This record gives sequence, structure tokens and C-alpha cells, in this order.
Amino acid sequence: MSNMIVDNVVEFASYWWFRYLMVTELYMVEKWERVTIHVLFMVLFCVFWYFNYSVLLSLAGLISPNTLIADILPGAHQGQGVKVI
Amino acid sequence: MGNFDAFEQGFASPNGNGRLPNGHGSPKERLSVEPERKFSAPAYTEIRTRRCNAKAAAESKQASSSSYHPEKKAHMNGHASATREQGSSTKPNQAEGKLSPEKEHYQKTSFEEVPMHTACLTYLGFYLLMILGYINQLLFVPKVATEKDREGYVALYDAFESFYSRYVYRRIKDCWNRPICSVPGDELTLKDRVTDDYGWSFKFTGTETRCLNLGSYNYLGFAAATGRCADESEERARDSGLAYCSSRCELGNNAQLDELEKLTARYFGVEDAIVFGMGFATNALNLPSLLGPNCMVVSDEKNHASIILGLRLSGATIKVFKHNNMRDLERVLRDGICQGNAKNGGKPWSKVMIIVEGIFSMEGSIVRLPEVVALKKKYKAYLYLDEAHSVGAMGSHGRGVTDYYKVDPKDVDILMGTFTKSFGSAGGYLAGSKKLIDFLRTNSHAHCYAGSISPPIAQQILTSMKTIMGEDGTETGRNKIMQLARNTRYFRRRLAQLGVITYGHEDSPVVPMLVYLFSKIGAVVRTLTTRHIAVVGAGFPATPIMEGRIRFCLSAAHTKEQLDYALEVIDETADDLGLKYSRKPRDPNPIEY
Repeated sequence: MSNMIVDNVVEFASYWWFRYLMVTELYMVEKWERVTIHVLFMVLFCVFWYFNYSVLLSLAGLISPNTLIADILPGAHQGQGVKVI
Repeated sequence: MGNFDAFEQGFASPNGNGRLPNGHGSPKERLSVEPERKFSAPAYTEIRTRRCNAKAAAESKQASSSSYHPEKKAHMNGHASATREQGSSTKPNQAEGKLSPEKEHYQKTSFEEVPMHTACLTYLGFYLLMILGYINQLLFVPKVATEKDREGYVALYDAFESFYSRYVYRRIKDCWNRPICSVPGDELTLKDRVTDDYGWSFKFTGTETRCLNLGSYNYLGFAAATGRCADESEERARDSGLAYCSSRCELGNNAQLDELEKLTARYFGVEDAIVFGMGFATNALNLPSLLGPNCMVVSDEKNHASIILGLRLSGATIKVFKHNNMRDLERVLRDGICQGNAKNGGKPWSKVMIIVEGIFSMEGSIVRLPEVVALKKKYKAYLYLDEAHSVGAMGSHGRGVTDYYKVDPKDVDILMGTFTKSFGSAGGYLAGSKKLIDFLRTNSHAHCYAGSISPPIAQQILTSMKTIMGEDGTETGRNKIMQLARNTRYFRRRLAQLGVITYGHEDSPVVPMLVYLFSKIGAVVRTLTTRHIAVVGAGFPATPIMEGRIRFCLSAAHTKEQLDYALEVIDETADDLGLKYSRKPRDPNPIEY
């Protein structure tokens, strides 16, 4: 019984893995190329994760309805315009 | 990741003769086959999914009841007989003749928009392929990319095109240029081949696969090795040999070709016609003799490469209008005529010509001829109609789109078409007024410099044309036309019911099914091959990057059983690969043949 569940899960996963490969065109490339792209995806994911964790999360923590830009950006003083590039 | 390997098999390994991974053999058989396989491939072995297994089990139960399979040698081919039994012609569309031509066109033609996420994914996939291509090119320079002993020379071959064909096309190259070894009738035999270096080279396995043929332009089923056409062609070859070794202007003219030209003119109901040995060259070499630098040409954006080449050779100013869009055609015509030739200080054009095709081979759409003719008369432009795909396949007498729309063929100034498709032969024709044809006889490069048509080939055209016209005293031609019309409507409606996106007009026998991604083109063609159906995929550069498609070409040689078999397989494949993009309401009722 449990064997069948495992089989089903594996089948389900492998089918959707195949569909994923299909929509990213990785289905038709060689194995090493597929690995390269997956590594690239993982690296991108990690970089985003780190950025979100270190920058966005700390900024988000400061935001409340009464916050001014000046409170968040450390260099800016009250009344000073924020230079937007 | 463990199951990764199921898809991680090499590339192209066709199933051996009769070794069907699915549907045909029992599951036990399949297990025993698998270890023997030398090159295992994801597509040429069945792509296994949950649904597939369930279906396979169900199928093996009722295997005896399935009536048609290409592998079965002795199947009853009830070609055309089914038509007669069921009497009357195809059920006409309700809109027929009641609405204005414009509304009728919109009701019958479908160009469904691509879903947003699919569009994004297609671009993402294309970028990934490009990135991988560049990495590949950087790391391993392929042998073909370096030219030996050419130091100091510039590269002879265009860079992007060869890059594209090496790193995108090459990966699924096994789906194109497939050698066949039989007559391309309703079925054909594919010669199996394998690659163990990802498409750089192929090896023949020595086996063959019998497939249902949904790829040839054999609209009326005249491509056959037996029957009247074949017999008469053979006889002609024995009488007159195979070639005249001369052009029409020298010693290549003969009574047979004169007869062919007269028959062609009669077939279309015009004064005269001229025939050439090659369809592509008919466009590419005759347009320059009709047009010159001070002419304006208004050309549909989806026109065939032969027309584009011909126009470029002619040096005329080319203006392109949106595909089958009459408003845009009128805008381009009006602007062009008002502004005149800018290169010549705004002086009037010496000629203005509209060039359209009857059936657009990649889109499956039909030109809106009545409206084009109205515009042509309004702006006094000439009309050049390329009926390469539509001649024989459209209209109740098989005379092409003029017959289909009941437009007077004399309203079209130049009728062009090929004998390659419906007539099952080779060559092309131009038909129109006597004056036009006489002009071409003296000025056309294709007439003066190309060798005349080979006698058996001309005979095939003559016989098939007479059959279509009913001059052989039988109803064969008429039945074939009816069968094709019936097959077309049935197949298109069933496909729409399945929920895949198809393009084009409901009466056009060219049915493109949109799959969008390159991998899906490859996967569909390979999967259908394992199920014994041969189809043709089309991707960039033949179509826009985003719109990869599978093109089905229907034929009068197909029977309902064959189409049902194909549709059943397409249904399964579409489920497994996720091709059911359509968001249109589906017809819940069974489609009547």
C-alpha cells in the first residue's frame, strides 16, 4: 500500500518535472547544459533571497504608516529633500 | 531527482518496427523491450504520464475494437465510399451567404491570442537556448564552425543563421528532413534513424516505421504509385522519354505541353495559361518580368518566400499590409497611390499590384477574395493571386478560391498556382488573359531559360486535372473534392473541441496547431511518430519566434477511421504535453462527420 503511494508521488513528480523541463526548453538540451541552467537558477534564487533577507526585510521592518523617508534612509536629515536618481 | 533519468535519455531512437511502446504492446512486452534499446530517447519512447498509463491499460482491453492502426497492413480503406453512402455534401456553416463577406470571414476564421504566461515562458525559453548556445560556442568550437585554410578571409556563411541552426534547430533536427521510403499517400513509411551526438549526425537503423501521413500536401490524394495517373504517366515515359533537354523557346515545345496549357486555361475558365517546371520559380522568376523599379506592390505579410524573392528581384517598391486585413490593405493602397513614388520625386507609379495567396500555408487562412477584388477595382490595381495550396483543394469544382467564393476568375488579373500539391506532380502555371500570357511567353525568364516539363510529369498533371474536371467520365474527382471538404471540417471542429489552438479558416485543409515552444514541437513530432503518425512541425524562422506550430495537412485519401485514430492520439498527446491552450467555449456535442 505504502509502496503504491510512493509510486504515485514519484510518478506525479516526474510528470511535472517533465512539464517544467518542457516549458523552459530544457527538455531539448544536453545534460550538462541542463545542469548549468539549474545552477544558474539556484544562484539567482540565492542572490534574490539574500537581497530580500538583508535589504528588503530590514527596510520593510521600518515601514509603518507614520514613517518618513528620512527615517529610513540613514544619511537624510529632517526637511532635507531626498535625491532621487 | 531519481526519476529524472526517465527523461534523461539520449535523443532520437525510433521504436523498431512494430515495437510500439504504448497502445500496441502489453505492459509486459514493454518492460522486456526497454533494456534492449540501444539509444533510449525521451520522445521516441513514450513519454510516460499518469494519464497515459491509465489509458494504455484501458486501450489494451479494447484493442480488438479499435478499427484502424497504421501498423495493421490489411485495413479497409473506405476512401470516398463513406462519402457516397452518407449522401449529401458537407453541412454548410450557418453563416454561409447570410452575412456580409467581412462578418462571414470573421465568423469562420480563428486566430486566438496566445495566453500571457505562455508568451512569457516562450521568450524565457528562447533566451535560455540562446544563452546555452553562446556558452556552447565559447567552450567547444564545433568542427563545422572553423573553416580550414582560410586565414585572412571573411566568414563565408552568415553568422546568426548558422548559430541558430547549430544551437536551436540542431537539437530537434530529427523532427525535420526525415527520409521516407514509400509513396506519400494516406500513409507513408519513415526510414528510422538515430543520433548519438545530439543531432550533429544521424545513423540509419535499417528499420522502417509505417505512419499515417498528416504532413504531405497531397490534398486530393493524387500522389499514388498505382491507378490511372500512374499508369498513364508510365506509358508517357515509355513513349516520350523523360526529358526534352531544351527550353520551351528552343526545341522543348511539344503538343503535350500545348494541350496542358489549353486544359489549364479551360480548368480555370480564363483565356490562356502558361506552365513552368517548378512552382517556386513560377513566382520568383515571373514577378520580375511583370514588375519594374517604378512599380508599387502591396503584399500580404504572410506571403510565401518565393513571392518575396520575386519582388526583391524585380526592384519594385514593396509595401506590406497586415495579414488578411482589408482595412490595412486599403490604407496602404491609398497612401501609396496618393504619395506616388518617393524615389522618383512623387511621380505616379507606373503599375500598382496587390499580391495575395489563396490559402496561406503557415496560417491556414483563406484570402478574403471578394473584398480584395472590390478594393482592386476601386483603386485600379492589378491582382496577383497565388493559389499554390488552394488550387484543387478549394471550391466545389476544385478550381481554387475563385471557385470557393464564386468570384469571376477574370476579375483576378494573374492567377498563379502549382501542380506540386493537389495534382500530385511538379511545376507551376500562370493563367489569365491571352495578352498577359503572350507577354509572358516573350518576356519570362522561366519560359525562355528553364528546361521544359518532363513528359511523365506533365502527363500526371493532365490526367489528374481531367479527373478533377470529370472529363474521364467518372465521379472520382468530385468525390475526392467532397471527401477533402468533409475531412477538413470534421478535423478542424474536432480539434477545436479538444481545446487546442488552431489557426485559420474552417474550410482550409492546412491546419496549424499552435504549440508555441521549440521543445513542444520536438516532443509532439516525436510522440506522434511513436504512435505512427507523421506530421510536420514549423518554428522560427518560418513562423514568428513565439508561434511554433504543428501543421496538419489533410487529404482526400484519409478516411474517417484514420482521422479518428489521429484525433484520439492528438488528444492524449495534448493532455500529456499541455497543449490545450484554448480558452474558447468548446462544443459539448459530438461532431458529425
